[in-house]
Amino acid sequence: MSVRTRLQELREGKSRQFGETVGFYFLIVLLCLVSFFPVLWILRTALMPPADVVQFPVTYIPESPTLQNFQDAFDQQPLGRYLFNSLVVASGTAVLCVVLGSMMGYALARLEFRFKLPILMLILVSAMLPFFGRLIPLFELALEYNFLNSYLGLIIPYTAFQLPFAVWIFQAYFKELPDSLEEAGRIDGLTHLGVLFRIILPVSAPAMATTAVIVFIFAWNEFLFALTFMSEQKMYTVTVGIALYGGQFQNPWGTIMAAVFMAIVPLILLLVLFQTKIIEGLTEGIGK
Amino acid sequence: MAAMLISPGLLFLAVISYYPILDTVWTSLHQGSVLPTRSETWVGLENYQTVIDDDSFWNAFKVSMIYTFVSVPIEMVLGLGLAILINRNFRGRYVALGAILFPWALPTIINAEIFAWLFHGQYGVINDILVRIGILDETFSFLAKPDAALYSMLFVTIWKTTSFVALILLAGLQSIPSDLYEAAKIDGASKIRRFWHVTLPLLKPVILVALIFRTLPAFQVFGLPYGLTDGGPGESTTTLVLWAHRETFNSLNFSEGAAAANLITIMALIICLIYVVVLYEPEVR
Repeated sequence: MSVRTRLQELREGKSRQFGETVGFYFLIVLLCLVSFFPVLWILRTALMPPADVVQFPVTYIPESPTLQNFQDAFDQQPLGRYLFNSLVVASGTAVLCVVLGSMMGYALARLEFRFKLPILMLILVSAMLPFFGRLIPLFELALEYNFLNSYLGLIIPYTAFQLPFAVWIFQAYFKELPDSLEEAGRIDGLTHLGVLFRIILPVSAPAMATTAVIVFIFAWNEFLFALTFMSEQKMYTVTVGIALYGGQFQNPWGTIMAAVFMAIVPLILLLVLFQTKIIEGLTEGIGK
Repeated sequence: MAAMLISPGLLFLAVISYYPILDTVWTSLHQGSVLPTRSETWVGLENYQTVIDDDSFWNAFKVSMIYTFVSVPIEMVLGLGLAILINRNFRGRYVALGAILFPWALPTIINAEIFAWLFHGQYGVINDILVRIGILDETFSFLAKPDAALYSMLFVTIWKTTSFVALILLAGLQSIPSDLYEAAKIDGASKIRRFWHVTLPLLKPVILVALIFRTLPAFQVFGLPYGLTDGGPGESTTTLVLWAHRETFNSLNFSEGAAAANLITIMALIICLIYVVVLYEPEVR
């Protein structure tokens, strides 16, 4: 092969590689545009004076940005209260799931006991049960025991819904821990429970973070039960508050988008802080 | 000891997950009980008969079937493409993964509100873009026309959930040992052949998981039609759960609601069973 053709080949190879890189990044940029566009549009709408929002053709960049819509969102509805309600329900669910999930996960991963497999099946199958099929009896129960319009009325069902996931994450994590940890604890005279709380849980921060973040997001986002169980406006979670905002045909879009933005800020923060954990959690056990 | 650790969680599952399923069966077999009184009169399958005789139920069934079996396959194909695209190291991977996670993390109902605004018939940006590039001559009321509303709803759900499929499939792709590809390469298999004969067969169990994880929620969707179109215009986007929720909580007739709930559960189970029978092969590897 002559030097010239070899050079030419190299050049062609390089330009093909270059072309592939350009094509690849084109697709990545497209992905980001398609995914993030709605957030930009929420912000753009929320920052506009109401009169500018209802214009066609639309303006893409707010000409006279204002925080009026945010002010209105908090003044016209108890948006602060909605956000607080969601925070209480989501945090409560996350904590309860971490506590119960770590206990069950520990037993399933590290202890021997009877009916282990049936119990594991029972837990996993409950993750597949349809939500609407459980809504009616749970509504009746909540009505009977005065759990409607209370935080626990949502925290308890949400915990049960997310418990299978929490157990799954914890048992996978505990399985990987070395036996020496427990043995050391046993030698020091700790009971099983002591081992769990004094030794295992302190080194389980990664599994706890994964579980807590994903469960929090689920509880923050849930709508069907929140809508059905919370009928008093002051108990609305933020999803319910936003869904029932305004009339159907004269929606104050600027204000709604300001409220929407406030509702998704916590989610964006969690995504930025815990991206890797969330991805690990969602795909735990996949392909293994 | 194990019992102590297990029982609190099991109690939760028994009361919140398993008891309601049984109770729904009981309720559905008794005469229309309107809260707070429960009727004790056994009526057999009468409530089911009432639901099945209702044309709106079958309309909702149709909507849910279209919604599920149009959106899920499209999500699978796009999700696989996306997973293959980002299954490598590159600068900006963190941002790309963020772009994939973001739609997943949005609450369905809030997502519905956002897209109700993007699709707005007079001031929506989607109308603006389509008019500017000349696809539309004038604004179009996407959510006010039956077919267009259904297509819009499909668009929104595909936008939101493709990313979840991509994440699951990406994890599957990463678990395929690279020496398999090397071997196929040495044997002279082209990229396309490697995809068909190495990637797809090994990905099958993960695809099954993604299919079930997507189909179950899709079949039970509630928040999206509630927020986007309120089930309309007419009943063109009223899905099964939206219909059943209205029937139950507007009239408080919990017996018919329970019968509808059980029918939905049974249908969802049948769909999953079909997937498993068609796709499951023990010991693929």
